[in-house]
Amino acid sequence: MKKSLQQLRQHLLTGVSHVIPCIACGGILIAIALAFAPMTEGKGPPEQSQILSLILQIGDAAFKLSFPILAGYIAYAIAGKPGLVPGMIGGFLSAGFPARLLFSAAHLEANGLPQDQMIVAGFLGAMIIGLIAGVGGARSKKVAHSEVLKPVMPILIIPIISSLFVGLLMIGVIGWPTGEVMARLGGWLRNQQTGDAVGLAMVLGAMIAFDMGGPVNKAAFFFGVAMIKEGEYGVMGACGAAICTPPLGLGLATVIQKSLWRQEDRDAGVAALAMGMIGITEGAIPFAASDPVRVIPCIILGSMTASTTAMLSHVGNHAPHGGPIVLPVIDNPMAYIAAIAIGTVVTAVSINAVKMLTQKREPQVAEMVA
Amino acid sequence: MKIIAVTACPTGIAHTYMAAEQLEKTAKSLGHQIKVETQGAMGIENALSPKDISEADVAIFAIDIEIEERERFSGKRIVQVPVKDAIKDPKAVFAKLDG
Repeated sequence: MKKSLQQLRQHLLTGVSHVIPCIACGGILIAIALAFAPMTEGKGPPEQSQILSLILQIGDAAFKLSFPILAGYIAYAIAGKPGLVPGMIGGFLSAGFPARLLFSAAHLEANGLPQDQMIVAGFLGAMIIGLIAGVGGARSKKVAHSEVLKPVMPILIIPIISSLFVGLLMIGVIGWPTGEVMARLGGWLRNQQTGDAVGLAMVLGAMIAFDMGGPVNKAAFFFGVAMIKEGEYGVMGACGAAICTPPLGLGLATVIQKSLWRQEDRDAGVAALAMGMIGITEGAIPFAASDPVRVIPCIILGSMTASTTAMLSHVGNHAPHGGPIVLPVIDNPMAYIAAIAIGTVVTAVSINAVKMLTQKREPQVAEMVA
Repeated sequence: MKIIAVTACPTGIAHTYMAAEQLEKTAKSLGHQIKVETQGAMGIENALSPKDISEADVAIFAIDIEIEERERFSGKRIVQVPVKDAIKDPKAVFAKLDG
């Protein structure tokens, strides 16, 4: 049992190791394009500059590739070559597929959804489908077949069958539950508009941290972006502060109490600090992946603190992005910095406190001494 | 003893190379011959040739992720450990080779 869990971790980490450069490149390029964009009324800011829209386009391409690379290389780790293509196809679909593939036009209309509604399974969907594609790919190697078919198996039959299998599974089984949760969440979120601003900020902060760049995070993020278009910059201000505190807080935690963290966590901490500065919540994923039960509640707490502080102090954010990097386009920048600082410290202190408390009960000294 | 090794960590910028260094140092101090291939963020470096592999008595894999081109080592005796074992206590890793 322990061995297979270790193997599972090894496979997931192989995918993560291949996707890190992709997320870093996409995130940084997008942030650069947004941070330097001239902020004026009307048209989307980066589109007004040729060079910035170019950079945005390239960064966007990198981001779009991240799910396919993640799922593809998880599958590759398990099955080798036969896993790569179905894994990437599954990952591509988890970035979004039309809801019309699953539901009739009438069903969509009855539920008040547009006909071009997309279902997004996100990070979690990509991980699950990558594992499935890998197991399927490994199985396909063992299928008995005649000598006549041998040359066409690896280049024709296996890719087609495994891709069909993975794609149908993604669209038919895995994508829908995540998409449904997402859609309901979005609808509920829109109804909160007139409600208490502080309550809204707390909910958004929790959502931003909950899955670190996944569908729940993006639901809150897109709500903030939609509000920018409405001329309401406070919602994005709260989101912007909450977006960066998970990686910043975890990074800070590894710095202030080194002994609590393994060597690989401390390395990830440095990367997390850098990603936090440029507003990439995904920097927290390595921590959450290895210790979700303790990490996720702490980063939620920190992000809620940051978003509520930002909301209360009337921070406004004109860029659809978060973290200190968007500071040039923030209304009330001092309060924005304060909100981020408070949220970061809350995250760091709470995770270290939780680690210290739980360590006593279940000693993991051997693990901790690196 | 002639030893070959492969090191690979998820990020591939620090631990991969720290493990390689520790393995090389320890092998030298124990009087073994060693060649270490690193599979970091830059891909395969100091690649093991088919000759290296066929001549080696044993292979050490200090890895946290699946490595590239594992099929090169089929038939070889492989001792696999997590990367941190090679960094923290390389002597214990070499002790496993005799077992």
